[in-house]
Amino acid sequence: MISRRFLLSFPIFLTVYLLQEGFVTQLRLPAGGLSLMLVFTFAWASMSTPEIGALTGFGAGLMMDLSPTTPGPLGQWTLVMILVSFVISFLSYGDDHVRANPLNIVFLVIGGVVGAQISFAIFGLLLGQQLGSALQVLFICAGTAFWSGVVTPLLLPIISRLHAAVFGTVSRI
Amino acid sequence: MRYGGDNRGRLLLIALIVTSLFLITLDLRGVQVIDGIRTATQTALTPVQKAGSWVVSPFRNFLSDITHLGRTRNQIEKLKADNDVLRQKLLSRKVADAELKQLKSVLNLAGNGGFKIVSAKVISQGSSTSFAQTITIDAGTSSGIRSNMTVISGFGLVGVVKVSYANSAVVQLASDPSFRVGARIAGSQQIGILSGQGTRKAVLQLLDNTQDIKVGDAILARGSNNGRPFVPGVPIGEVTAVDNSAGAITQTADVKFYSNFATLGVVSVVVGAPATDPRDALVPAKPVPTPIPTVTVTATPSPTASSQG
Repeated sequence: MISRRFLLSFPIFLTVYLLQEGFVTQLRLPAGGLSLMLVFTFAWASMSTPEIGALTGFGAGLMMDLSPTTPGPLGQWTLVMILVSFVISFLSYGDDHVRANPLNIVFLVIGGVVGAQISFAIFGLLLGQQLGSALQVLFICAGTAFWSGVVTPLLLPIISRLHAAVFGTVSRI
Repeated sequence: MRYGGDNRGRLLLIALIVTSLFLITLDLRGVQVIDGIRTATQTALTPVQKAGSWVVSPFRNFLSDITHLGRTRNQIEKLKADNDVLRQKLLSRKVADAELKQLKSVLNLAGNGGFKIVSAKVISQGSSTSFAQTITIDAGTSSGIRSNMTVISGFGLVGVVKVSYANSAVVQLASDPSFRVGARIAGSQQIGILSGQGTRKAVLQLLDNTQDIKVGDAILARGSNNGRPFVPGVPIGEVTAVDNSAGAITQTADVKFYSNFATLGVVSVVVGAPATDPRDALVPAKPVPTPIPTVTVTATPSPTASSQG
């Protein structure tokens, strides 16, 4: 059952991935820009069970790792996305206080985006990558958080509907 | 209460983390398959990215213009200033080039004629409100220039020094209506008096009407005593029309000056006459017409056509 639903969500994530690689990256937004993939995955995970969240993070992370512009080794984003998606799912799923207010999900997504970026940076440092100054990393994290905060409320209704279509109306916000 | 997942869920999480760590290890060990997957992804993404770039570029440019509004304006101002400076430099360069060209040609003419010259720049064009046609040059008595000296350009006669000051001189142009110069026709050596008409056209009045004058004949200065006011052999112009009216005492002809008085930049004042008369040596060469190639197409009967017929 889980596998079938996971496979059903694959075309949706593939579309988001293509949108991210083909269009969003071309916008060259200032201050780090926007990662549609991170926003979509974490919003999706916030409506899912921790297992689905982890699986979603795995699939999305694998796609991000396949992007030729990713600096790290294959698997780095996968690992980060599994962990962060699981945490977001764990925090939100089954907690009516969180799910009752869409604003909570927005903050959860923003927190997830920043957490994922910092985790990626830490793993990168452990693997010997050059990431620039700490100030620069923080600036990019802040910028991405800003863009995520702008976009998430706009995307949340769409994500919610798609999630409901795949997993049933129970999960709809 | 939060749902933390059951044992199966935890097992799944561990399996996924192990898989990702396995992938990292494989990639760090340099397994070729990983690179191949990324290359394939990029190959598949290229058309999407191209399409995205085409679609997004107007929006991206708009965003870029907004975010760089102040910087762009400064850049435009700076480029405008640079452009003005460069345009000024180019203009100066063009003027210098034109002057150099004129100087070269006048030196060439003076060299061929054996004239001793002093070159000068035209610094002003005289006012034509008094109907006189003059120019002012930036050399005068301090450079050995005196009144009644011949002034030439690279093409030929320009005029005569009327008044000379310490560092400048006023030159009466040959086109001035009061200008007169003794002239002769190259080749036939017919002599006459050429007078300015206020334009680039002058009138030549021949003293002898027994010989024919033709359109295209070159007119040269006859020369004066001691080379002042005119040195001999300086080209003046070319006959453009001949008046052979019946009953006229003398022949007259219209002459077009070789020098273009409107574009004078550098001229030379002949301060020393040649030791010998250069005669017709300074007559400018006639322009050689450029041959126009013609293509003649000849129809050749086809042998197969004739055999079929």
